[in-house]
Amino acid sequence: MRIAACIKRVPITGGRILLTDDGRAINTQHLGFTMSPHEECGVEEAVRLIEANKGDSVVLTLGPPEAVEQLRDAMALGIDRAIHLQTDGQEWDAEATAAALLDAIRADEAARGPFDIIFFGNESADSGGFQVGIRVAYALGRPCVTGLKKVTPEGPSVRCEQEVEGGRDVYVVPTPAVLTVKEGLNLPRYPSVPGRMRARSKPVAVVTPRRPDPRLELVSLAVPAGQGRRAESLGAGAAAAPAVVDLLARAGLL
Amino acid sequence: MTVLLIDDRTEASRQALTIARQFGEVSAIAMDAIQPFAPDALAAAIAGLNPTAVVGAGTERGNDLLARVAARMNLPFAANCIAVEPGDPVVVTRQRWGGSLLETARLHSPRPLLTVAPHTVPADDGRAPPEVEVRPTGADTTVSVSEHIQPSNGGVSLADAKVIVSGGRGVGSKEGFAIIEELAGLLGAAVGCSRAVTSAGWRPHSDQVGQTGTKVAPEVYIACGISGATQHMAGLKGAKRIVAINSDPQAPLMLNADYTVTGDLKEIVPAISAEIRKRR
Amino acid sequence: MALALFTRRALFLYRLVRSGKPAARFDNLHARTRAEAADVLGQRKLLQRLVPGLMHAAIFWGFLVLFPTILIAMVGAVDAHSTLPWLGAQGWYSFLVDGFALLVLIGVVTAFVIRKVQRPARFEGSHLREADLILVLIAGIVVTLFAWHASQIAVGINDYPAASAPISNALSGVVAPAAPWLERVAVWAHVLIILSFLVYLSYSKHLHIAVAAINVFFGKMRPRGTLDKIDFERPETEVRFGAARATDLTWKQMLDTMSCTECGRCQEVCPAWTTGKPLSPKLLIMAERDHLLSRSEAPIVPTAVIDDIVWDCVTCGACMRECPVNIEHVDHIIDLRRNLVMVESRFPDEAGAMLRDVDRTSNPWGKPQSDRTQWAEGLGVRVLQPGEPAPDVLFWVGCAPAFDERARKAAISTAKLLQTAGVDFAILGPRESCTGDPARRMGDEYTFQRLAGENVQTLNEAKVRKIITTCPHCFNTLGNEYSDFGGKFEVVHHTEFLAELVREGKLSPAASDRTITYHDSCYLARHNDVRSQPRELVDAVGKAVEMPRNRERTFCCGAGGARMWMEEKRGRPINQERVREAAATGAETLAVACPFCTVMLDDGVRETGAKLQVFDLATLLHEAVERKKGDSPD
Repeated sequence: MRIAACIKRVPITGGRILLTDDGRAINTQHLGFTMSPHEECGVEEAVRLIEANKGDSVVLTLGPPEAVEQLRDAMALGIDRAIHLQTDGQEWDAEATAAALLDAIRADEAARGPFDIIFFGNESADSGGFQVGIRVAYALGRPCVTGLKKVTPEGPSVRCEQEVEGGRDVYVVPTPAVLTVKEGLNLPRYPSVPGRMRARSKPVAVVTPRRPDPRLELVSLAVPAGQGRRAESLGAGAAAAPAVVDLLARAGLL
Repeated sequence: MTVLLIDDRTEASRQALTIARQFGEVSAIAMDAIQPFAPDALAAAIAGLNPTAVVGAGTERGNDLLARVAARMNLPFAANCIAVEPGDPVVVTRQRWGGSLLETARLHSPRPLLTVAPHTVPADDGRAPPEVEVRPTGADTTVSVSEHIQPSNGGVSLADAKVIVSGGRGVGSKEGFAIIEELAGLLGAAVGCSRAVTSAGWRPHSDQVGQTGTKVAPEVYIACGISGATQHMAGLKGAKRIVAINSDPQAPLMLNADYTVTGDLKEIVPAISAEIRKRR
Repeated sequence: MALALFTRRALFLYRLVRSGKPAARFDNLHARTRAEAADVLGQRKLLQRLVPGLMHAAIFWGFLVLFPTILIAMVGAVDAHSTLPWLGAQGWYSFLVDGFALLVLIGVVTAFVIRKVQRPARFEGSHLREADLILVLIAGIVVTLFAWHASQIAVGINDYPAASAPISNALSGVVAPAAPWLERVAVWAHVLIILSFLVYLSYSKHLHIAVAAINVFFGKMRPRGTLDKIDFERPETEVRFGAARATDLTWKQMLDTMSCTECGRCQEVCPAWTTGKPLSPKLLIMAERDHLLSRSEAPIVPTAVIDDIVWDCVTCGACMRECPVNIEHVDHIIDLRRNLVMVESRFPDEAGAMLRDVDRTSNPWGKPQSDRTQWAEGLGVRVLQPGEPAPDVLFWVGCAPAFDERARKAAISTAKLLQTAGVDFAILGPRESCTGDPARRMGDEYTFQRLAGENVQTLNEAKVRKIITTCPHCFNTLGNEYSDFGGKFEVVHHTEFLAELVREGKLSPAASDRTITYHDSCYLARHNDVRSQPRELVDAVGKAVEMPRNRERTFCCGAGGARMWMEEKRGRPINQERVREAAATGAETLAVACPFCTVMLDDGVRETGAKLQVFDLATLLHEAVERKKGDSPD
């Protein structure tokens, strides 16, 4: 069985987002970084499937040199190899990201055979484009199911559960397939230290693709003004309870 | 020469219609035109209609469908826009970080494809646009819904709930949620939580409200002991009123709520429950 | 034959200990010798409890004095008219023998009274039958010795002057009729009891008489709160990730388990055990001992020790303080945690969230580092930028005051006091990462070392030499543990520094009648001996009332050992226990010197409804200084 997972390095922002002076990027000084949350579950699922079925797994990312940290984190969970499409730190739009990943996936498949499943996060925490996985799937001519909370290979197919209002929709598609997953798919394991130490010496293939001109071209970023919520104090401690209940009564919710 | 609106018959689509009208004459295509929901087939049908622009609501299905249209037609796609300036190129303002950051971007495309973020644009209150019929062409239905599973418990669904009582790290423990559940029970509300709570294993991921959890739109959202990280706030864009209860008056959620109560939630939440009982 | 059995067992135990993993315990021989003299010869730790201490000292010193009589008896058993050259004839020695033999007997009787009449709870779980048998055997040894000496005198074959052994002399009259055969019977009985005791002790907890003295010598001479580091630079298969199986224990840890006398002093003071949790340091060491001696290959956790027990520990060190043979319980538990966390990823979920946060965002709250200056907004506190000259004192704020609003007050008060006193200080702001203490106490040594390396680099590059901190855990880690990672700093707790400022007159607090009871933090009072300076501050601002468990006997608030981030699932909450003790003093104020104690005890006050207000000493001092100035208090 061959499984690939694609990830993206994103900052951990906390309660406020600060921008750089030119307003074109987040000020990431003093911020920690992680794999985007949906993708962490994709990586964990990939590791579990290979543990159950034998085979090999690959993690790919398009990102700056520091993104190798996230690749090592993925390999610490159990992924065998990594492919790093290294950028100079400039942002790539979703279309260009998909195209670069596609080239790397095609190259790896040509050498080692097709991936039964390629996992993507449903959307990245930062740019939230909702399209990279789908574009790769179309280019490869493979079925794509999105927003998954459960994935179960069944022979030549895979049964996918997507959470919708009022329950779950089930899709059954043949492999090879491309699946985009959401946090809640599984609970990612805590990497063991031997795992992390081994990950330090697992292979990372580095490629430096050329950045095409973006068709969704970033002009500037802005932190939105509050939604006009006025933070009116209803009081302090248990004494504020009547005021809260008054509010609920006025809204007709009691 | 028509602008196509993907209509899923919800308020979100009527909000998207407001944006769609900025591009010209709008016709609509029903999201459920091809049964069961088969997004590739629907995308093919949409492409076949040769629209000058396609606009949909930024819901899960909306984004999924528009991305497929974009991939099929080899065009760029801007998801979750809150404002557009038609032109050449179109200038869009769209959401990043679930809405905690806004991006202004130029969409270089002969046919703009975009979705509109729910709860950001007023709904169009005019006449509904004419609907275009879709003739199934035997297009690709490999990806289609084969089965629907109902939720196992009869509890109030988070996404639909009118009132949500939500707990964060300040609740302190799994058992600490008893007072949250008590208040929710009295109000017929759903119980939600922050990502810190699901990471600690106190509640299942299905209770998580936020950017990577469930985005909610209740009449009232009562947040107890939640600091208000941007990923949590991203799930509250649709909440009409936010009541924040926290011992830290400087917590981000306290600064971004409609109403606040400062103090220990372990005293306040039971006091609210007691007050409700008193009035019944 | 007895010697053969004993030797075989001794060899087995020796080889077992030799097979233990390495431990660096050959440093500081001078301090080790002093400890040996005080704790073993001087019975210092045992005498922490007067009556049991005297009882044991009597038996122990008696054993030392009577040791040669074993040889004398063996010689005398073979030939009634022979004895050890010179010593056997010394009157002063026979006087000592008589006196100490009586003391031993009194000791044994006392021991029985303690065990059978008083029945202290600390013996719960110990092997009482075994202890009884040992006491009976000791009594037997002494009684047969008296019988022999008395008979010798009666028959007239004593080599020493009869008058110099007054008790034996007096008894000789009593035994005179039976003397000739009693003399033979007694000496042989004496020798046989000793030989069988020799074999028995090698299989029982009485082994401690051989091992304990050695264990004390090899005890940790570094500051008590310091943990030993793991070397991660080696190939992964050679790294020792704590202890999974008995064979992973270091030789010192193996020696620990063999030294345990099951006295239960540790159990009695353990906050977990006394609040109804399954962790007892005594039972833990006993379980490890049995597991080790049975040569079991099964993992220690959960076979001998269940997971819950490993996580119940707050690393307060009360057990280690009480232990007469210097067993290092906390190090055992940390080693078990290291394996569970770093290799098996098996630990309470909520603690896992904390570890991830510490790893990714450099603080256990998972909040952005840039928020670290929020508490100081508007105070005019200097934030040290890279390349700027170092201040006289670096104020290491710690994570709790930065990210928890209840802990903030102490930092604000400290900053204001330093400003009032004209101290040149600065904070690191976002460049301050968690010291790594919670990760290290959880057993995640890997994350801890990464953070330690980063912080040491930041501090060394900034050429910081003196650091003041409000958090005892930061104080312990920065001051004692960072030296293993290239960081040698003079670290002072804020109460020490503020007390000095008051002494020097740079801060003048107004006295008051407010009754204050001070809660000693474990990492200050026990691990680092800071006990008097906080009390200077208490006396300067109010009237001190002490809790029964104070100073180095302090009772933990429950947050140590990373338990701040774990839920207490069983028994009574530790923090409430301590609050009840504080409330019982009748004081109005509960003074603390630690942000974690602040939060835990404040929670405890709310949960129990106690009529107490919890304040950090810095806040109390600041109020008092402001009052003196005539300004309205905060």
